[in-house]
Amino acid sequence: MAKRITIDPITRIEGHLRIDVEVDNYAVSNAWASCTMWRGIEKILRGRDPRDAWLFTQRFCGVCTTVHAMASVRSVEDALKLEIPPNAQYIRNLILIAHALHDHIVHFYQLSALDWVDVMQIPKADPAATAKLAESISPWTRNSRNELKAAQDRVNAVAASGQLGIFANGYWGHPAMKLSPEVNLLAFSHYVQALEYQRKALQVVGILGSKTPHIQNLTVGGVANAIDLDSQSALSMDKLEMIRGLLAEVAQFVQQVYFVDVCAVAAMYPTWFGIGSGVKNYLAVPDLPIDSRGSAYELPGGYIHGGELGGVKGFQTAADPAFRQAVTEDVMHAYYQGDKPLHPWVGETEPAFTGWDGEQKYSWVKAPRYNGEPAQVGPLAQVLIGYAQGHPLTKKYTDMAIEKVAAIGGPRATPAALHSTLGRHAARAIRACMLAELAQKHWQLLVDNIAKGDYSVHNQPVLPSHEVQGVGTHEAPRGTLSHWIVIKDEKIKNYQAVVPSTWNASPRDQKGTHGPYEASLLHTPLARPEEPLEVLRTVHSFDPCMACACHAFDPSGRKIGVAKIL
Amino acid sequence: MRTALIGGIGNVLLGDDAVGPYVLRLLESKYEFGSDIELLDLGTPALDLTHQIVGLKSLILIDSVTSDDPPGTVILYKKDDILRVAPAERLDPHSPALSECLLTAEMLGSSPENVLLVGIVGAGFEPGSALSESARNAVGPAIEAILSELRRLGYAVQRKSSAGKLALWWTQPSEELPTPS
Repeated sequence: MAKRITIDPITRIEGHLRIDVEVDNYAVSNAWASCTMWRGIEKILRGRDPRDAWLFTQRFCGVCTTVHAMASVRSVEDALKLEIPPNAQYIRNLILIAHALHDHIVHFYQLSALDWVDVMQIPKADPAATAKLAESISPWTRNSRNELKAAQDRVNAVAASGQLGIFANGYWGHPAMKLSPEVNLLAFSHYVQALEYQRKALQVVGILGSKTPHIQNLTVGGVANAIDLDSQSALSMDKLEMIRGLLAEVAQFVQQVYFVDVCAVAAMYPTWFGIGSGVKNYLAVPDLPIDSRGSAYELPGGYIHGGELGGVKGFQTAADPAFRQAVTEDVMHAYYQGDKPLHPWVGETEPAFTGWDGEQKYSWVKAPRYNGEPAQVGPLAQVLIGYAQGHPLTKKYTDMAIEKVAAIGGPRATPAALHSTLGRHAARAIRACMLAELAQKHWQLLVDNIAKGDYSVHNQPVLPSHEVQGVGTHEAPRGTLSHWIVIKDEKIKNYQAVVPSTWNASPRDQKGTHGPYEASLLHTPLARPEEPLEVLRTVHSFDPCMACACHAFDPSGRKIGVAKIL
Repeated sequence: MRTALIGGIGNVLLGDDAVGPYVLRLLESKYEFGSDIELLDLGTPALDLTHQIVGLKSLILIDSVTSDDPPGTVILYKKDDILRVAPAERLDPHSPALSECLLTAEMLGSSPENVLLVGIVGAGFEPGSALSESARNAVGPAIEAILSELRRLGYAVQRKSSAGKLALWWTQPSEELPTPS
């Protein structure tokens, strides 16, 4: 008899992810992903000036502020057919890269590493043996015995206090935890260091965007940064040098620590290359434009159907007609009115809440579909789509990852093994390495262009009186983001944001087809169904971000993060 | 050199969740603060809040809260009240919240010595709606609580001779909020 398990962190009053799985004979037999918050923020935008939209969309989500700002200005520029100056492209690209590097580091260490790393094994580790192990896999200079001992002391102090503090809610001692005390210590030491490097990446966003968490320097048609190499109040050479230094430090952490740790986890949990595949349709849009028109990009996009890498269809531009036409949103199992899938330009967001019912409606997330089918988005989609098209930078770091996993004693994975929970982590680390390299390239492109005497950062937008529509895309840390805008009489007539986690966390559609989270959980083995660590591993591998949420603090400390068995 | 942060937390597009950023802007428009105090609209920062609070001496946050008390009640929480909230299951990056960030700062040994959360019980969190009357009525007492904490800790605050402009870009002109005296 199947049991249903609900994972629902109830302290957030709005807007979080809820997962329900049915477990039969120690394996997941059915799954539902839902979001508990109404996403109707887009309606606020109707009737406003399209040039102001980015200020509002930046508030959709407190974690991914920048990406919604960027997709929004791009949607208006697409509608107006407005080019932006090269300096503005480079500055935007540097902001997007720095934000993504920050986000990928936070995701691996602070949000998912402790699914694999058992902190309570760390007191048993030998710091000297750990330092030796570390030296054998990475040139990172901060793996000394002393640094590792300091990290171990932090855990010992928390454990000795009798309260587990920040570690109070982990699956310590779970039978699915497999790392040696030394590997646990090494990973934890990097968990602490990761806090420093994510902060450095954020500083880059802050310098260029003039503020974080909400950047101030965007404008439809470019950026608002004044460039003056000698002025402290503008983007000066001093600031550019500071940015270069920060990006170099972050790049070193990504390439020598994050990438290596992911390869080590993969080598030590090889069965997870065979778990968590799910939907094998992959979607990514091209991003990091390298010219004013947005006709050439650093990162390729496209679509893979059914895991067939050989059949990849590439997108020429970020607003490729194939992409524009293929996207619809289905609300059959979402709490909205409507009975047929709609294209985002004519999309509606009229709530019809009925309460959770797995057979009927059960989520506030709509179900986006690509040519009527679910698609997985995110770093894995981007890496597979790049690899399938022979993109040199993607191939370089993917091949490097395959070699590294094998060198640490794991299996020699093929790209096919990337259709998995571990594949999603590996792809995110591969993408981070690519971005770290591209950050340095785009810094140079910016400086070289300024050196030619080009200080231009902005083209003036002109709003037409007739109706126009546009789409602004961005390949965000969690995958394909698209903002769809309709402008009439210089005002916003309709606005829909199709966000990455909507693709991945989508509920079933009118054909009953599972969304990517749901499909990926089917058949997952569970050692202890009452402690569904394995479910969390796969859900976390997508880097879920539901909410764009309301964050009212709930001080009652009600029971949190429950796995409730029905 | 900043040693204190006053942060408004909340999503300005979601009804009473805007109360933290609103109080923050009122403070900015009406008072002068010493250079050791920074005022920031933090939005809904999740784990990134850690970077804002590590190394501070004093932290004052204004946020909407859920409670059995009636909407508009101002509730003050000290550090221990917040640390008692156990960390949540990290299903998504929004889950880690104030208690997780403070616990992380504690683990790093650089948690602020003085922590005050000025909580205002919200009435509703619907997209696009203006602050409720109960939340607006709570703004005055919330500001008093912040000023009295700053004085207790010895920070310099002065009322401006004439209030600056209150920049609430997220409201429509017709929704412009009355400002308490």
